[in-house]
Amino acid sequence: MDLELDTDQQELRDHARSFLADSCPPSLVRDLFEGRVIEGRVVEGRVVEGRGPADSGGLWSAMVELGWPALAAEVDHGGLGQGFVAEAVLASELGRVVAPGPYLATVTQFAPVLVAAGAAELLGRVSAGDLTGALALGAADASARADGDGWTLDGVKTHVLDGASAEEIAVVARLVGSRGHEGVGAFLVPRAAVAVEPLTVIDPTMPLATLRLDGVEVDGARVLLDPRDPASFDALEHVRRHATVAMALSGVATCRAIVEATVSYAKQRHQFGRPIGSFQAIKHRLADLYLAVERADALAWYAAVCLAEDDARLPVAAAMAKAALGDCQRLATRDGLQLHGGIGFTWEHDLHFLLKRATTTAFLLGGAEHHRAELARHLGLVA
Amino acid sequence: MKLRFDESVESFRAELLGWLAANRPSAEEMAADPSVSTGHAPAWARRWTRTMFDAGWLVPGWPPELGGRNATPTQTLVYLEELARARVPRTSNVQGLGIVAPSIIDYGTPEQIEQYAMAILHGEATACLGMSEPDAGSDLASLRTRAVRDGDHFVVDGQKVWTSGANYADFCFLFCRTDPDVPKHKGISILLVDMDTPGITVRPLPEIVHPDHPDLNEVFFDSVRVPADRLVGELGAGWAMANGSLAHERGMVWVSAVQGIEEALARLLDEAPATTATLPPTEQALANDRIVQVAIDATAARCLGYRAFAKLARGGTAPEQALMKLFSSEVRQRVAEVAAEVQGPDALVTGEVAFDGHQAIDEPQGTWLEQYFQSFANTISAGTSEIQRTIIAERVLGLPREPRPT
Ligand SMILES: Cc1cc2nc3c(=O)[nH]c(=O)nc-3n(C[C@H](O)[C@H](O)[C@H](O)COP(=O)(O)OP(=O)(O)OC[C@H]3O[C@@H](n4cnc5c(N)ncnc54)[C@H](O)[C@@H]3O)c2cc1C
Repeated sequence: MDLELDTDQQELRDHARSFLADSCPPSLVRDLFEGRVIEGRVVEGRVVEGRGPADSGGLWSAMVELGWPALAAEVDHGGLGQGFVAEAVLASELGRVVAPGPYLATVTQFAPVLVAAGAAELLGRVSAGDLTGALALGAADASARADGDGWTLDGVKTHVLDGASAEEIAVVARLVGSRGHEGVGAFLVPRAAVAVEPLTVIDPTMPLATLRLDGVEVDGARVLLDPRDPASFDALEHVRRHATVAMALSGVATCRAIVEATVSYAKQRHQFGRPIGSFQAIKHRLADLYLAVERADALAWYAAVCLAEDDARLPVAAAMAKAALGDCQRLATRDGLQLHGGIGFTWEHDLHFLLKRATTTAFLLGGAEHHRAELARHLGLVA
Repeated sequence: MKLRFDESVESFRAELLGWLAANRPSAEEMAADPSVSTGHAPAWARRWTRTMFDAGWLVPGWPPELGGRNATPTQTLVYLEELARARVPRTSNVQGLGIVAPSIIDYGTPEQIEQYAMAILHGEATACLGMSEPDAGSDLASLRTRAVRDGDHFVVDGQKVWTSGANYADFCFLFCRTDPDVPKHKGISILLVDMDTPGITVRPLPEIVHPDHPDLNEVFFDSVRVPADRLVGELGAGWAMANGSLAHERGMVWVSAVQGIEEALARLLDEAPATTATLPPTEQALANDRIVQVAIDATAARCLGYRAFAKLARGGTAPEQALMKLFSSEVRQRVAEVAAEVQGPDALVTGEVAFDGHQAIDEPQGTWLEQYFQSFANTISAGTSEIQRTIIAERVLGLPREPRPT
């Protein structure tokens, strides 16, 4: 097993890192946290047209110009065919700098449903940066009724990432009266067709919304995964794992940024005539925190390779990666804040962007306990 | 990024497995004459060392004249994995093959290599490592065992403790103070001392489990005369060499540690449904959750091991190894701890567990509680977990060193 990036992947990482250092500075993140939205922005010396609020000051437009939405996608889908590891590299670089924008929801959550559905035309639009999407998971909270050639959807979807801004929503719903693995499907619903309630959340770079589907009519051509097809359930499980692994990678990178910020603060802040980082109580906490990040990071990349290679170990690896993100986020948030002392408690300091983003990634798509419960089943501890 | 090794590594693996099947000592042979200490090599172990040496399988990364085949680091990794998986010990004298022989080869004279290192590699001698003293544990550099030059000899006086295998070893790789007047790191030298030299007394220290088969010892030196040509490397360069020796030890020890974790975990997962069957549902869920947590640790340990290894293979430095030493030893401990607690009072019953010998395989031996107590061997020896945390903080994260007394 080789969990190191190859030279092309390293190049992609370095390039993404330097692009984001310029284009997604803490000041941009602060603008979002303080409710300022910039419609257009200077990127590499040129004014880039903004594409509305979700564009976050032209950041998404710039990413589209760099071809990021196309990078991992298959060539048949208008992509560059670099596979999931490339997507993983971008998801983690975005997490490092608390980057806002549609990448996570559109590329790592919405596009995988389109892949499962074989929706090449839509994928082509995603790759070209012409379509943003969101994924409304969970089968229990929405029902589907066959209605002539089409379907009628009812229900409430909660905590949908980019639910208020994405153009299209992939809605997972279950056939009325079905149970278990049967009767679960996915439908493509224009955002305009649902009642959207944006939520005020702790991290505005990860905007969430509640979607109410009240007798929404979907025509037959918009069925992504037919609920009458028994294969739809497994296909959606795979989509969920894809989204989970990307979220884990992105969240671990945020946690690593917390560790880096805290280590550098501990070197520079003096008390009692010495750097606070020379006190063993602080050293050992940081060593344990570093270990927690390494543990979660190794598991997240292991899951990434399992996904990239379509390996049968993916279900276990994905759940372990997300559970380990939860463990490391808890420690990084607590120690990151505690070891900064009073300055970390202020709004002025940038640390809280990282803390809130890390917490958001750990809580979405199932927290540590949820994934450990799933692992108990995978490992044969419960039926 | 990939899950599998390429063809050349797989064909290396196939060759090794074929050779092992034809040449390995059988489980019965090993059980009939167990190694009772890490300094004790029974007849089969001596034969096995020689067989591996002759076939170039003893230290695959070394050239054929040293019992190897110039294997790549990745091949060596596969080799260690397969030996652990087949439950074949590489040696019963871990510290001899893993630390002492490589150190003599790195720093010794041609005569020392021939007489001491090659004797280990040929299965003709075993070694012990005399570092720790009653007042010099984690603070090894404060060791006080003295070696005073007297003509063409050194005269050694002092005491070592926790010396694994000293009760059977043929010689000791002994750290002693040759200059009390310079800063403590600068006055340490290494001597090769035959254990049958007059003036040496070995007193075994029965251990926390299996007290009938002690491996730890106190070693007393009373005017022990050691020929001056047994000095390894430069006079006063012992501390620098100690760091080299420990690097040898830490490089790939995680492979067998991780194998041990996985075997223990497999046993736990196998037993758990029956053990927890009678528990009320909430308790059962809590127990399962703890088991899942160590299962995540186990997978993480393997992934981290491969990562640390990749750094090593690219010529990386030792500090990353501190992470693996810390994590794998603590995970091994947690697996046993969780397993024992899930078992409840049944864990207290020791029964009659056969002693399988010190075979340098981290396989789960004995009851869960016995494994739990035994697991502290790895969180205490070769730099305690606390010392590893300090190493990670200072050498990996670059935090300032604590002000130290000079
Ligand atoms: C199974 C086993 C086999 C061994 N084999 C050998 C051998 O073959 N040869 C050999 O020479 N030695 C051997 N040792 C000795 C081993 O290297 C020492 O036990 C170890 O270095 C710790 O020293 P100590 O026991 O004196 O504990 P101490 O150093 O006294 O430590 C006691 C406690 O204090 C903590 N502590 C100490 N200093 C610090 C610090 N600066 N910061 C924070 N915490 C600190 C330690 O982590 C530990 O928890 C062996 C030990 C064991 C358990």
